[in-house]
Amino acid sequence: MKYVFKRLGFYLIAFIAAITLNFFLPRLMPGDPVQMYLSELYQSGGRIDEATIRAVEELFGFNSSEPLIISYLSYVKNIFTGNWGYSFSNYPQTVLQAMSRGLGWTLFLMGSGLVISFIINTFLGILVAWKRGSKLDTGITVTGQIIANIPSVIIALFLSYTLAYSGIFPRGYAVTPLMVHANTFEFVKDVAYHAFLPVTAIVMMSLGGIMGMRANMINQLGEDYITMGVAKGIHDKKIMFAYCARNALLPVVTTFAMQIGFMLGGSLIIELVFNYPGLGKVMLSAINGRDYPLMQGILLMSTIMMLSANFIADIVILLLDPRIRTEGKRG
Amino acid sequence: MKRILSTIGSFLKNSPKTSIGITLILIMLILTFGAGLFTDHDPLHRYKGEYHSPPSAEHVLGTTRLGRDVLAQTLYGGRTSISVGVFAGAIAVSISLVVGVTAGYFGGIVDNIISAIINIVMVIPQVVLLLIVASMLGGSSPILIATLIGFTSWPFGARVIRAQTMSLRSREFIYSAETLGETKLRRLFVEIMPNMLSMISSAFVGTVIYAIMAQSFLEFIGFGDPLSITWGTMLYNAQNTGALSSGIWWEVLGPSVAIITLGAGLTLINFSIDEISNPKLRAQRFMNSYYKELKKNKKRKEKSQLKLGGNNG
Repeated sequence: MKYVFKRLGFYLIAFIAAITLNFFLPRLMPGDPVQMYLSELYQSGGRIDEATIRAVEELFGFNSSEPLIISYLSYVKNIFTGNWGYSFSNYPQTVLQAMSRGLGWTLFLMGSGLVISFIINTFLGILVAWKRGSKLDTGITVTGQIIANIPSVIIALFLSYTLAYSGIFPRGYAVTPLMVHANTFEFVKDVAYHAFLPVTAIVMMSLGGIMGMRANMINQLGEDYITMGVAKGIHDKKIMFAYCARNALLPVVTTFAMQIGFMLGGSLIIELVFNYPGLGKVMLSAINGRDYPLMQGILLMSTIMMLSANFIADIVILLLDPRIRTEGKRG
Repeated sequence: MKRILSTIGSFLKNSPKTSIGITLILIMLILTFGAGLFTDHDPLHRYKGEYHSPPSAEHVLGTTRLGRDVLAQTLYGGRTSISVGVFAGAIAVSISLVVGVTAGYFGGIVDNIISAIINIVMVIPQVVLLLIVASMLGGSSPILIATLIGFTSWPFGARVIRAQTMSLRSREFIYSAETLGETKLRRLFVEIMPNMLSMISSAFVGTVIYAIMAQSFLEFIGFGDPLSITWGTMLYNAQNTGALSSGIWWEVLGPSVAIITLGAGLTLINFSIDEISNPKLRAQRFMNSYYKELKKNKKRKEKSQLKLGGNNG
């Protein structure tokens, strides 16, 4: 339990750090977003007076008349009470409303990509570590690492050109537009059909995980308990999965959670190329519309996603590693 | 001198990954920095009437919608892309070196504070942050992009270097240096640093790969400088002019193949650096001979069994 509280404390600090960054980011930039927005408004023929300036400042959460620390505190309070401000490219929608359109689809994409790539990477990692030094090992690790180091843009463009434009898979959207699904099964089938290419791209981009699993497995294979197991005559498969892989998995789970941030960036791009209605699309429209509150909201939301992934990883480690559990009991 | 060369030679022979990696990178460097030798076209010149023309003898990789030669653009654009990658990698590695070594060497409260900062920075998604900063700064030049990437991608390296410094710090040679009365700075730079060269270079290569990826990503979204040619802006232009949807694959082929080749070369080099720094991973050579021996034994057994069978019959 002590372990869980310690981790939760860290997450709270990290979240507040992200809020602080979010608060100071627009203030540190050269060029004041309020001025920028006002000049754009002026160019498009809007009328600028005292009231407009105050309204725009309020929209951005800027207030030139109050001290920085007060506006910082009220900003933090607003974030925690769920008042993340208004999105101005989608006014009168709030930032949270504007994000909620894409959030579900992105979570779905990332979640399925994560699970599938975790399974693939773990099994391939165990396999190549067992056959280390063979041609199979070199082939799989090198190919996997090289694919993982191809920018997601190129992977997505390649998949979309070869498989989507030839008509095998859909070119965009999460479900067929304007289609009424006869039953739940039809709907699930349609969603899976549309998600296939984006998820494949996410899985391809995280193939580097094979390397991590392989390195951990090889480190574990050198331990005494493995030699002991072999000497006792335990079956190879049991040593591989029940002895070695269980211990090798622990560090992998942690790095995997850390990689989610990287994956998130990649999936934003993948969504763009596949025209998938996720957070990436929302992000792009926010960038095009210079919608800073929405962009900052997405930064906060993705930080929350990272933190929850890390928390899940912590729980998984707690389940996998009895040492941490007993440590907690003793404490 | 001769001995060094022969050692390098035998190393390359024994490690095909390294030699292929170095070859790929050399090819890319020669092609991009010696672009003038391989193409007569000016990357910015617009050939009138040759819009989206397919690959031909005149334009080996075809032309873009504006009538520009794709091959020339790929070769000249590579200069900027590679420089941005290297520059960003250098920034990130310098930061992670300073941060990691400080945390690992001084330990205690300093380490606690610095590792908390590293962990927090790692939790904030770099790519989203990169996008926001880039969009707040407006369109950005390659140098700005390199700086941004460099300043957001140091935490991974810092963590690895911190762990390595900590394990080196408690080794005997550091204690003896301490007893000899060497100053802190000398211990750091003369005793610890050389032992981390492989770590540092691996972090550097990794960050260069990441920087090239992140750059193509930022420019693909449209934050690149529209006047400079890089692989990322080429992809952006291709996407924007609807090259793929109208079947103009050659506009995307050049930059994609270039990035993949360079990335593959760097990846292979990173493999060999990893193998040098962690001998446990260098399984290839001796395991290979083990497998060969195993096969031989099997054959021998089969043969002897055949012989036995023959004798019996």
